[in-house]
Amino acid sequence: MILTGKKIIQEVQKNRIEISPFNKKMITTNSYDLLLGNTIIRYKSKILDPKRRPLFEEMTIPKKGLILKAGDFVLGHSSEYLGSDFYVPIIHGKSGTARMGLFVHVTADLIDIGSHGRITFQLHATIPVRLYPGMPIAQVSFWVPKGDIVLYKGKYQHSKGPMSSMTYKDFNK
Amino acid sequence: MILTGNEIIKEQRKGNITINPFCVSQINPNSYNYRLGNTLKVFYKFDGNKAFFRKIKIPKNGYILKPKKVYLANTKEVIGSSKYAMSLIGRSSMGRYGLFLQASANLGHTTSKHKWTLEIVALLPIRLYSGMIIGQVSFWKNFGVVKKYHGRYGSLNYPQESFLPVEKKQNI
Repeated sequence: MILTGKKIIQEVQKNRIEISPFNKKMITTNSYDLLLGNTIIRYKSKILDPKRRPLFEEMTIPKKGLILKAGDFVLGHSSEYLGSDFYVPIIHGKSGTARMGLFVHVTADLIDIGSHGRITFQLHATIPVRLYPGMPIAQVSFWVPKGDIVLYKGKYQHSKGPMSSMTYKDFNK
Repeated sequence: MILTGNEIIKEQRKGNITINPFCVSQINPNSYNYRLGNTLKVFYKFDGNKAFFRKIKIPKNGYILKPKKVYLANTKEVIGSSKYAMSLIGRSSMGRYGLFLQASANLGHTTSKHKWTLEIVALLPIRLYSGMIIGQVSFWKNFGVVKKYHGRYGSLNYPQESFLPVEKKQNI
């Protein structure tokens, strides 16, 4: 079962869903619209190796926007801090974003229950696109779980901005 | 409704979910982490009708994927369920590297049970290791009567390229 927009508002008011800052205007029929934060990450490693910590640079998206070229891949983030200990969030592009050939995630849409933080967007442009800080870029829906809940305690908990992959931690265990 | 990690463990023990091999440490709050198998198939030509793939065994020190190529692979585990529908995706740690694990076909039919074919596209050059944790599968409660899956892919245990357009011709 997926929550309706009205139910999302109620659950935010009951503190069962965290969205901060929360703006009722961003509620849609079945989701909440997310804005693009102003920081992005671009990898610098020539070859990414999941066993090693990747090299990357961080950039601020200027007010006048940042152009992604066709084929570009960068990590961005939601300006909202979000999560839920009661529902499973799923991230989607806005259809307006997708119509510009822009991916907001790369097959990883499912968020763990109990994960709280700013969402890292996996931004992939298929045609040139200009990104503005604060633009509505994605949406999050909330789904009802079945079964006993164990909350997320993973390596990306409490992300404040875009987080590069930390797979090297899995191999060093 | 999506199953929590605890519910996945319970249903696996009851036989309503198959994950083989199964390891409790690969359970997430609402999904299971699956591993990459040891074989890739890389696209090398299109004859105007059909795409051809070459088989590659992933060496011990890994295999570097080139951007803008399509690779097929399979999950190390046999994954399926007689009771739940499934969604198989990449894990966020791989999405953060720009690695697609499937090309928009994430839905797994109830009653299918096999090593899933992964459709892998790398946006940046990346080294993949055989057996590494690469994606996750979630299980969803059905609403309505379940009819057994009779598709052609649901019992295959190796990376299988598309049967299209041969399939399409047969239907005309």
